Amino acid sequence: MIPIGHVLIVSGILFSIGLAGLLIRRNILLILLSIELMMNAANLLLIAGSALHGEADGQITAFFVMVIAAVEVTVGLAVAVLLFRTRQTVDTYDIKWLKG
Amino acid sequence: MNFSLLLPEWIALGTLLILIFREILNGPKSRNSSGIAILLTGTALLLLSLFFLRNSPGSAFGGTFVLDSFAVFFKIFFSLAAFVVLVSSRFFFRPLGGEKTAEFFLILWCALLGMLFLVSANDFLILFIALEIMTLSFYILTAYQKGNLASIEAGVKYLILGSLASAFIIYGIGLLYVVAGSTHFDSIQAAFAAQPGHKLLLLSALLILSGLCFKVAAVPFQLWAPDVYEGAPVPVVAFLSVGSKAAGFALLIRLIFTVFTPFDHERKILFPVLAAMTIIYGNLGAVVQKNIKRLLGFSSIAHTGYLLIGLAAARDSGLAALLYYLLTYALANLAIFFVLSLTANELKSDQIDAFRGLAERSPFLAASLFIALLSLAGVPPLAGFVGKFLILSAAIRDHLMWLALIGILAIPISLYYYLGVIRSMYLEEPVHTASITVPGSAKLILGLLITGILLAGFFQSPVFRIVENALQHF
Repeated sequence: MIPIGHVLIVSGILFSIGLAGLLIRRNILLILLSIELMMNAANLLLIAGSALHGEADGQITAFFVMVIAAVEVTVGLAVAVLLFRTRQTVDTYDIKWLKG
Repeated sequence: MNFSLLLPEWIALGTLLILIFREILNGPKSRNSSGIAILLTGTALLLLSLFFLRNSPGSAFGGTFVLDSFAVFFKIFFSLAAFVVLVSSRFFFRPLGGEKTAEFFLILWCALLGMLFLVSANDFLILFIALEIMTLSFYILTAYQKGNLASIEAGVKYLILGSLASAFIIYGIGLLYVVAGSTHFDSIQAAFAAQPGHKLLLLSALLILSGLCFKVAAVPFQLWAPDVYEGAPVPVVAFLSVGSKAAGFALLIRLIFTVFTPFDHERKILFPVLAAMTIIYGNLGAVVQKNIKRLLGFSSIAHTGYLLIGLAAARDSGLAALLYYLLTYALANLAIFFVLSLTANELKSDQIDAFRGLAERSPFLAASLFIALLSLAGVPPLAGFVGKFLILSAAIRDHLMWLALIGILAIPISLYYYLGVIRSMYLEEPVHTASITVPGSAKLILGLLITGILLAGFFQSPVFRIVENALQHF
């Protein structure tokens, strides 16, 4: 079995890549992708924990998280399409209407 | 297994299904009036079921779902808030005509369903799912006005930052699961008590708390609030500022005083600092605002700061004060946004300048806004004063003098910007002189909210008894 420490490191790296992508990228689609990556880092933890403790509920939780991540992206894409229709852009740099 | 404990949720779910099938069968032609009738019946049944369940605590689904007096308090709170918001969105959307309101009500109800589950969660999986049902509904509601660029932009910003907060929470839950081997609150509390210094546990607690601080818009996770409040449709802002914030605080209370109790020492360092930063940021940010919704966004950040004092102070006095403050804040905010949704279509602007001379155009609306704003500022005979007094005295009793001092010094600043709106309504000449007609049902609900503000200010003990009753299990 893979030691839990290794899984923690990999999932930490995945989470950090996702976080960095969310902060650096300006395209909404890539931002959604980064969020997906962060959620999958959490899934990795849940599944590794499930194997470590010999219980199935971590894997079940991971399924729920997958569903929620999919819904999140669906809503995100819908809003991105809405934005593209009105502004012809999905670049976060261009959305600066609200400020003060 | 005790299914009757979930009666309010069953009723909410049933109402949701009826709405969905009605929408599918009738198609876009469906009239909205019967939709609101279903929703109001649903709310009435919901409140009735909560009334019957109020004295029968218990748990279901293997202890992952609990119904205690705390949960019942918040469920009644959310149902009443949803009722006011439903009625106000009816007035907000009616003159717009073009928007399809049936879907709006449906998604709003979905958010309510999420909140009902959220306050009963006793397991991190249920917590996460319920939180996501609520937040995802709010993303859609925020971007609901498809033709309005501000609404879409607010939706995008809320979605990106909200998903970030969700990712933090679920990563924290994943870490907890690796260490504790369960997502149940009780076993995680046992794990915390067994190894209080465990680095991964501390990290996961921090991740989950920062995700929840995002939901309540506490500094440094507040950046979304002003933009979303400015862009989103008025009824959505009302539900966001009352429902979403209360849900966040309900979760914070439950987690901090049950699961995270071994971190009591850290709590007493972390929360006073958060509270102080939030009060200062919110109040200073609101001073320069020209848009009333943006101003209320900053003001809601400031109120989050006061509510956080309740978490920073000692448990007994702090929690009661927090719930009292939450009630007074909700009454005032619901009244303000009710007025805004009635005036939005007449004034066609959210700028404070547009409110010039409102007192001449509609003395009733102006007077309601006047009382609600003064209550938010904490002017003596009104409910907001009692809330602020309880919160600040809880801070003083816990020897947090500096925090109480910041809270007191912020009150004149908040009076300055609230009085700016009031001056504009009463002392300046109106642009248009046509009077605004207020429907009778709107007058009734607004009148009840204002009466609530006045009564909770004059008679503290009945409200305090409700709050104490809600906290009896803590």
